Amino acid sequence: MTHYNANDELLETLIEHQNEMSRRDALKFMAISPVAAATLIGTTTAATEAIASDAKGKIVIVGGGLAGMSTAALFTRKLSNPDITVIEPDPKSVSYQPGQTLVGGGVWDAADIVYNRDDFVPSGVTLIKDKVVTFDPENNKVVTAGGLEVAYDYLIVATGLVLDYAAIKGLDGVITSSSDDNQAVKAKVGKNGVYSIYFADGAADTWKGIQELIAQAKAHKGPEKLQALFTHPSTAIKCGGAPKKIMYLAHARLEEAGVRDKVELTFLPNGNNMFGVKEYHDAILEQFKTRGFKWLYKHNLIGIDTDTKVATFMKHWLEKGEWDPILEEYEMNLRSENVDMKYDFIHITPPMKAPSEVANSPVGSGKGWLPVVKETLQHVKYKNVFGLGDIVAVPMGKTGGSVRKQYKVLVDNVVAAMEGKKELPAAYGGYTVCPLITGLGTVMLAEFDWSNKPTPSFPLDPTQERWIWWMLKTKALKPMTVYGMLSGRA
Amino acid sequence: MIKLSISLLAATALLMFNACSDSSQTKKEEATTYKYNNAQVYENMCVNCHGKQGEGVAELDKNGKPKGPALNKQEIYELKLAITDIKNGGLNQSSGTDHEIMEHNYKAIKKKGMDYDTDSMAEYIYNTFNINK
Repeated sequence: MTHYNANDELLETLIEHQNEMSRRDALKFMAISPVAAATLIGTTTAATEAIASDAKGKIVIVGGGLAGMSTAALFTRKLSNPDITVIEPDPKSVSYQPGQTLVGGGVWDAADIVYNRDDFVPSGVTLIKDKVVTFDPENNKVVTAGGLEVAYDYLIVATGLVLDYAAIKGLDGVITSSSDDNQAVKAKVGKNGVYSIYFADGAADTWKGIQELIAQAKAHKGPEKLQALFTHPSTAIKCGGAPKKIMYLAHARLEEAGVRDKVELTFLPNGNNMFGVKEYHDAILEQFKTRGFKWLYKHNLIGIDTDTKVATFMKHWLEKGEWDPILEEYEMNLRSENVDMKYDFIHITPPMKAPSEVANSPVGSGKGWLPVVKETLQHVKYKNVFGLGDIVAVPMGKTGGSVRKQYKVLVDNVVAAMEGKKELPAAYGGYTVCPLITGLGTVMLAEFDWSNKPTPSFPLDPTQERWIWWMLKTKALKPMTVYGMLSGRA
Repeated sequence: MIKLSISLLAATALLMFNACSDSSQTKKEEATTYKYNNAQVYENMCVNCHGKQGEGVAELDKNGKPKGPALNKQEIYELKLAITDIKNGGLNQSSGTDHEIMEHNYKAIKKKGMDYDTDSMAEYIYNTFNINK
């Protein structure tokens, strides 16, 4: 395995300096990690270029976010005669979304996560600055809003998803994370105690909101606590941990300001657990108890009155029915009622869905998401259509960490298909990583896959909060993503 | 300081591992031996609500909803997603499940020793009952 050599050098450097390396030095070291990342990723180049395929075909990638652009870059490395077009309307599509939590928590500035699409278009790749509005898989073409018809041999759908604030009564707007076209949402979100880190501007506003909450808490008198609510919707969401991460950061900031005792923090998820993987669920529950958080399961935010500062949740539960002799268990009936809650601060994680252009097209599905064979990422109906990222209908997996596994699988499979191979060689196993920020300086690195068990990349107890994962999250993952993945190297 | 360096090594090694790991590896569900085969589980546990041919049971329950939805029109990917959702209590950290009642029933089924594999049960239902294929 020759590609470990450069990494060994890096390790040797660390070992050599382990006795003199202070925390400050370590910070500096991690800060130069673009170099480290480049060293790490540069080493795999030779191997991939050596096996570049001569297969030919026109590849069109709809969506130039992290998933689409990384895929384009990897194709240029795997094909000797690449013919690749990316169609993406948003000039800031490659912005670093995983940093939005850190912006919301006041750790990073808004500018730290902004990256321009045009700086990351891989050499030789054609960029169309437009939005696809029609998918016509029967005729192997797509049509853009500007009326441009683009034909393809292979289509990659990487549009991402949309944030459906409008689904919450009292709010408006269906937007993407980085687009500037978010005025409808901002009419109510980002002010007066209502915040949301799920779009870039909203993340910057959330930090202002936390500071306002602190000021309010400092001035607060009387026995009743200020109420801070943190919601989690019923739909699949990108970065499943963010609704909790911003709660941990708000807690840390309140504590830092010495006013934590003035505010009650409550987590209100639609589901009835903290995590699908039991080990992580248990760990998070303990973290919640240690911090004095409250939580109310099976509460789904359905409406908000921003004038009176009341949020309405649909509370749901199972009620015991008749005895079922076959199951040897009582039948259950679904019950629900609406519950109003006063708030001083509310962090909203909006419902999310597939963009209507995909959902209502022949490549979409009943639930909107792009239906693919979850292992090969090939469309279930159209064999020359593949998909990855937030748009695909696979369990879990709406994270940058998942894309990092998916784009390699997808490229290998498309190249194999182009070469006329019957079997698609690569398979995605459901890997997802959630660096769960639990404080200013701690992260629990929750890695898992469809086995529904922790799948740690390193032999350290994955349920522990560690400073080193904070370093990884705040110093190493961004350069690895921006300079590694977007060039198809990491 | 040594502790710090070890941690840094850990992070670096993690990056290395991910950068170099073979993405073509598939991790299946944990290897489990199931007591009954899919047909036996279906006949004993599922027929009551989903029908002999997966056609569903339209008879309304007390909530005015069909007792069990039809499975014989669902695509294989839909069945796989739905069963994963049921077994994991959702497809996301805290979003919850679309199958709240079935999630409850699944626990009873499991308790009775009638557990089943996600992908293989989905394939069984599709291959045996699907009317569109």
